[in-house]
Amino acid sequence: MVFDVFFLQQVINGLSIGCVYALMAIGFTLIFGVLNVVNFAHGEVYTIGAFVGLMVITALAPPLLAVVPLVLAVGAVSGVGLERIAFRPFRRFTDEASQKSRAMREATLLSSLAVSIVTREIMMHIFGGDMQGIPSGYLLQQPVAIGPIMVASGSLVIFATSAVMLGALQFLLYRTQTGLGIRAVSNNQLGARYVGINTDRTIVTTFAVGSMLGATAGILVGLYDGAISPHMGFAPGVKAFVAMVMGGLSSIPGAVACALLLGVSESIATEFLSSGWKDLITYSLLVITLVFFPQGLFGHGRERA
Amino acid sequence: MDVNVPDARLMPATLAPPAAFSGRGRRFAWTLLLLAVAFGAVPAAIVGTGSSYLAQIAITTMIFVILSASLNHVTGTAGLLSIGHAAFYGIGAYAAALLSTKLGLPFIVTLPAAGLIAALFGFLVALPTMRLVSIYFAVATLGIGEMIYVILLNWVDFTRGPMGIRGIPPIELFGWQADTLLSRYLAVAVIAVACVWVLHRLTHSYYGNALRALREDDQCADSMGINVERLKIESFVVATFFAGIAGALLAHTSAYIAPDNFRFMESILILAMVVVGGLGSLPGAVVGALFMIVLPEALRDIGDYRMIAVGATMFLSILLLPKGMLAEGTALGFVRRSFSRGWATIAGGTPVGWK
Repeated sequence: MVFDVFFLQQVINGLSIGCVYALMAIGFTLIFGVLNVVNFAHGEVYTIGAFVGLMVITALAPPLLAVVPLVLAVGAVSGVGLERIAFRPFRRFTDEASQKSRAMREATLLSSLAVSIVTREIMMHIFGGDMQGIPSGYLLQQPVAIGPIMVASGSLVIFATSAVMLGALQFLLYRTQTGLGIRAVSNNQLGARYVGINTDRTIVTTFAVGSMLGATAGILVGLYDGAISPHMGFAPGVKAFVAMVMGGLSSIPGAVACALLLGVSESIATEFLSSGWKDLITYSLLVITLVFFPQGLFGHGRERA
Repeated sequence: MDVNVPDARLMPATLAPPAAFSGRGRRFAWTLLLLAVAFGAVPAAIVGTGSSYLAQIAITTMIFVILSASLNHVTGTAGLLSIGHAAFYGIGAYAAALLSTKLGLPFIVTLPAAGLIAALFGFLVALPTMRLVSIYFAVATLGIGEMIYVILLNWVDFTRGPMGIRGIPPIELFGWQADTLLSRYLAVAVIAVACVWVLHRLTHSYYGNALRALREDDQCADSMGINVERLKIESFVVATFFAGIAGALLAHTSAYIAPDNFRFMESILILAMVVVGGLGSLPGAVVGALFMIVLPEALRDIGDYRMIAVGATMFLSILLLPKGMLAEGTALGFVRRSFSRGWATIAGGTPVGWK
C-alpha cells in the first residue's frame, strides 16, 4: 500500500524540492569551504535570481532557455558584489590574533546578515512585499504523464537543470586549474597562498560560482511555484544551510544527498502530518544526525585548530 | 620594541589623571551613571511625558538587556555560538503565561518557575549537543530553536497556537500591583539590573576565567584539568535560565504573547546586539541591546526606509568596529598595562615600558 502511485508522486515532488535545496547547499558548501564563514546572504541571491528572471520575462518575453544564462550572469555579479561588500573588508586583518579571534569570525557572519537585511528591504521597496505572479506562459506546471504517474513539467526541468549544473560543477572542480585552486584554498588557505595561488581571486570565483547555482535555484522555484516575493529566500536558505551541516560542511556529495533527503522527507511528511508540522521533521532529522554523527554524515574528524 | 615613545599611559604618576578617573574608579563612575539613567532619568522622562510609548520602549530595552547579557555569557564568554536563544525566551514566556492564566499562580512563583523551566529545557538540549563543536553546535541550536517554535505554533490545545495567549496578569508582588507605567518599568528595571549583576559576578571571577579558557581552546583547557563538558553545560543552562526570566517579564508586562515573538530572526537580533556591543564584554552586551532597540525607534521618522537604515548602521558598526563598541580587553593588553603602570616611574620621570 505504501508504494502506490500517489506516494511515488510525492517522492518525485520531494526530489525536485530537494534539488533546489541541493543547488543552494552547494553554494553554501563552496563558500564555507574557502572562507570558513557562513554566508547568510545566500538566500538573497536566490531571491535576486527569481526577481531578475521575472523582470526579464515581463520586459522582453524571451524563450525560457535564454532566461537561464541571464540569471546565471546576474547570480555571478551579485556573488562578486556580495564578496566585495560583506566579506573582503574583514580580510584586512591578517595577524594571527585577529584570525583566531572569535569576535572577528562572528562579525563577518553578521556583516553578511546585515547586507542581506539591506538587500531584502531594498527589494521590498522596489517590488512591494506581496507575492508576484509569473506570467502563465512561463509556468512549469503542465502535467506530464510518465507511465501511471503524473509529474509537473517543472520537476523535470528542475531535474535536468540540476543534473547539468552538477555535471558542470564537477568538471570545474576536478578538471580545471580554477577548480584546483578552489579545492586548494578550501583545504588550507595559507598553504594555497604559499604555493602561489591568488587566494583573493579564488575566493571571488567561488562566490561567483556558488551564487550562480543559488540564483538558478531561485528562478526555477519561481517558475515552478508561480509566485515570488522578497521573503522567499529565507526558508530554503535555512534548509540548505541545514543540509550543508548534515552533510559534513566540506563535502559536496554529502550536502546534495542530505538536501535530497530533506526534500523527500518533507514531501512525504505532508502526507501524514498537517503542513504546520512539516518543519519539525527537517529539524528533528538535523538534531538526530548531529547527535549520532557530530561531524555530519560525510564530514572529517576534528582537526587541531 | 620601541621604549622611548611618550605615551599617555606611561606618564609619571604626578601627571596621571586623578584616581577617580582611572581603573576601578572609572568603572565605578560609569556604573553609577548607568544606574542614574536607569533609575533617575528614564523614570523621570516617563512620568514627565506620561507617554506609554516611551515606557514600552524602556521596558523592551530592559528585557533585551537581560537577553543579550545572557547570550553573551554563553556565546561571548564560553564561546558556544547559540542561534536559538529566542526559543528559550519563548519557553519562559509561555511557562509564565500558562502558569498564571491556567493555574492562577502569582508573579513571585511564575518568575523563578519560568527561569527554571527554561533552564531545564536548556539542560536537556545541552546534554546531547555539547559534544558538537563550533558551527555544528550553532546549527543544532538553530534546529532546536525552530523545533520549539513549530511546537509553540502548532500545539494549539496547549499553547493556543498562532492566536497567542491573552490576559496575562501584570506584575504583582505581595499585594503591590505594578499597574502604572512607571511601576511596571521600575519592576522590570530592578530585575534586569539584578540579572546583569549576577552575570557580572559569574563572568568576572575565576569561574569566568575557566569559561574564557574553554572559549579560547577547549582541548587545551581540557588537558589542564578543566571539566570542559560540565562547564559548557553549566554556562548554557545559566544563559537559558536568564532567557526564561526575560520571557516571564515579557509575558507579564505585555499581557499578550504569540509564537512570532520568538522566531529565528529574534535570535539573530539578540546575537547582533552581542556582536555589535562586543563579543565577550558584558557592558558591550548592555550597550548593544540599547543600540539595537533604540535605533529603529529613533529612525521611525524616515518610515519605510527604517529597516534599510538599521541594516546599514549594523553593517557599518561591524565594519568599523569588528570587535564591538566596547570590546573585551585582551589578556596581553592587560599585562602590558599592568607592567607599564608599574614601570612608569622607575627612571625618574623617563617613560619606560611597553608601547
